[in-house]
Amino acid sequence: MRFLEAEGLSKTYIRRCKPKDGGISRLWKRDTQVITALQDASFSINEGELVGMIGPNGAGKSTTVKLLTGILTPTGGTCHVDGRVPWLERREHVRHLGAVFGQRTQLWWDVPIHDSFLLLRDVYSVDKAAWQRRLDELVDALDLQEFLHTPLRQLSLGQRMRAELCGSLLHAPKLLFLDEPTIGLDAVSKLKLRAFLKEENKQRGTTILLTTHDMEDMLALCQRVMVLGRGKLLYDGQLEALLRRYDTVHTLRCTFEGEADLSGLPQAIRHERDGGAHALTFAPGEIPTSEVLAHVLACGPLREMTLKEQNIDHLIARMYEEMQL
Amino acid sequence: MRNKLRPYLTAFRVRALLETQYRGAALGGLITQAFFGLVYAYLYTAFFNGSDPAAQKATVTYVWLQQMFFRALFMSDGEMNNQIMTGSLAYVLCRPVDQHLYWISRNLAAQFVGVAMRAAPMLLLQLVVPQEVRMALPASPLAFAQFALSLLLGVFCVSQIHAIGLAFTMKTLDHRGLSSMLSLLLMTFSGNVVPLTLFPEGLQRLIRYQPFAQVLDAPIRMYQSGQPMDEWLLNLAVQLCWIAALWALGRWLWARQLRHVTIQGG
Repeated sequence: MRFLEAEGLSKTYIRRCKPKDGGISRLWKRDTQVITALQDASFSINEGELVGMIGPNGAGKSTTVKLLTGILTPTGGTCHVDGRVPWLERREHVRHLGAVFGQRTQLWWDVPIHDSFLLLRDVYSVDKAAWQRRLDELVDALDLQEFLHTPLRQLSLGQRMRAELCGSLLHAPKLLFLDEPTIGLDAVSKLKLRAFLKEENKQRGTTILLTTHDMEDMLALCQRVMVLGRGKLLYDGQLEALLRRYDTVHTLRCTFEGEADLSGLPQAIRHERDGGAHALTFAPGEIPTSEVLAHVLACGPLREMTLKEQNIDHLIARMYEEMQL
Repeated sequence: MRNKLRPYLTAFRVRALLETQYRGAALGGLITQAFFGLVYAYLYTAFFNGSDPAAQKATVTYVWLQQMFFRALFMSDGEMNNQIMTGSLAYVLCRPVDQHLYWISRNLAAQFVGVAMRAAPMLLLQLVVPQEVRMALPASPLAFAQFALSLLLGVFCVSQIHAIGLAFTMKTLDHRGLSSMLSLLLMTFSGNVVPLTLFPEGLQRLIRYQPFAQVLDAPIRMYQSGQPMDEWLLNLAVQLCWIAALWALGRWLWARQLRHVTIQGG
């Protein structure tokens, strides 16, 4: 049996809302809507894997994480993590689990973060010496030294995020869930956080499941990716294979010495003027890059040229579009 | 055993430390309660106008004790309400603890420290207020012991009621309606609006066996006159029964609600 196995996991909510029309009766009438947050999702994750989960807003990513942590009870299907059913054996399950919910906080607002960490030590019944060692390690890796004794409320968002992550890892969990951990972080903080997660996964073999909207996170961290949309698991496999499937358009920007006549280019290359430069868009599947280059070089003396793959955000947007999300 | 209790003891300790940070709020509460204490004390002094000095002193003492321990009645622990409203409850549910007990231990810490921080200065205030509106000493050392134990149990009782309120908040997702309803009940039937001794005789007997009266009214009676052992034991039994019943109800509701909990805000 795999480390984490989900079978036919489903979750529906009932959402109550006011009827769109009707006069005074709106005061007591209400409609109910059944929202399918997750529908029949089956997947498995091995120990030590680092898996990314992407999908547009409302795709069911957070719901999946909450089901796997045991906070929510599914309306259908089942799942085993390390031999346990999360929502049935929640207390034992969460002992070996760390979670970061990007927009919430687990540390106490008004006390120094070190005090919150102390509480977590005793909540997870971690041995004092082991805890101290782990804390030193994490403080070092996440750069917390400066504000370890500062109340949480005085920290910046990036500092807080790092502190939250530290809090989730103090008991050395086997499994870590990260729900949008880089939300609102600046570039430097993001890079640090990614480096840290990679290390944690490699060195300690912590299994990590991460949801994000930040494609750079995905590229930097995950080899395997799950795509969710409208509550359905649409893709589960290598990130690279997914990108290759949708990455069909390249852009070649070039400037020439003096004027060049590009009207003779074949149909497969789309040509646009961009100030003094020319932007040539083509699909490598249709016309090989080498052929495009040959055409361009034939047009005149080239001064400068850059070849760009499609921006990953555009690519994902196209993927969502094609999957009709 | 000690190891099993460790999370709850630490939760108590850290929450108590946190509460000491709110000294400004304590000062605010102190000023309010001192003001109301004085106003009520003078009001009842004028009301009795020397006609019944014993009853007058008793009522003044009642008023002071009530203001001094006002915080014990106050279900002011907004932490969990906030967590439910914002969805941070998700984190709390990720802790390998008995959720009900974990909350109770945090809440008790907040209540005890909050009460102590307000009661101690109020006691010092007694040294400077004029003789006529000053509260009396406890009837006897035994009376004081009875009072202290009873008050302690009263705080336990409020915690249980608060926990039950929270179980409903997990369903309604907003605590405001329920909180104000519970507060009204507590304030009225614990004698905080009008001393219970001034209620009609028949109603008094009924109210006195409600959990609310056990919080502040029962202890204050003990303080004032002490209680014969048999009556005191009966009172103690009533308090313990209420605590046990409310504790059990709270645990049952929590277990139920936590299975169907909604995490707000995605």
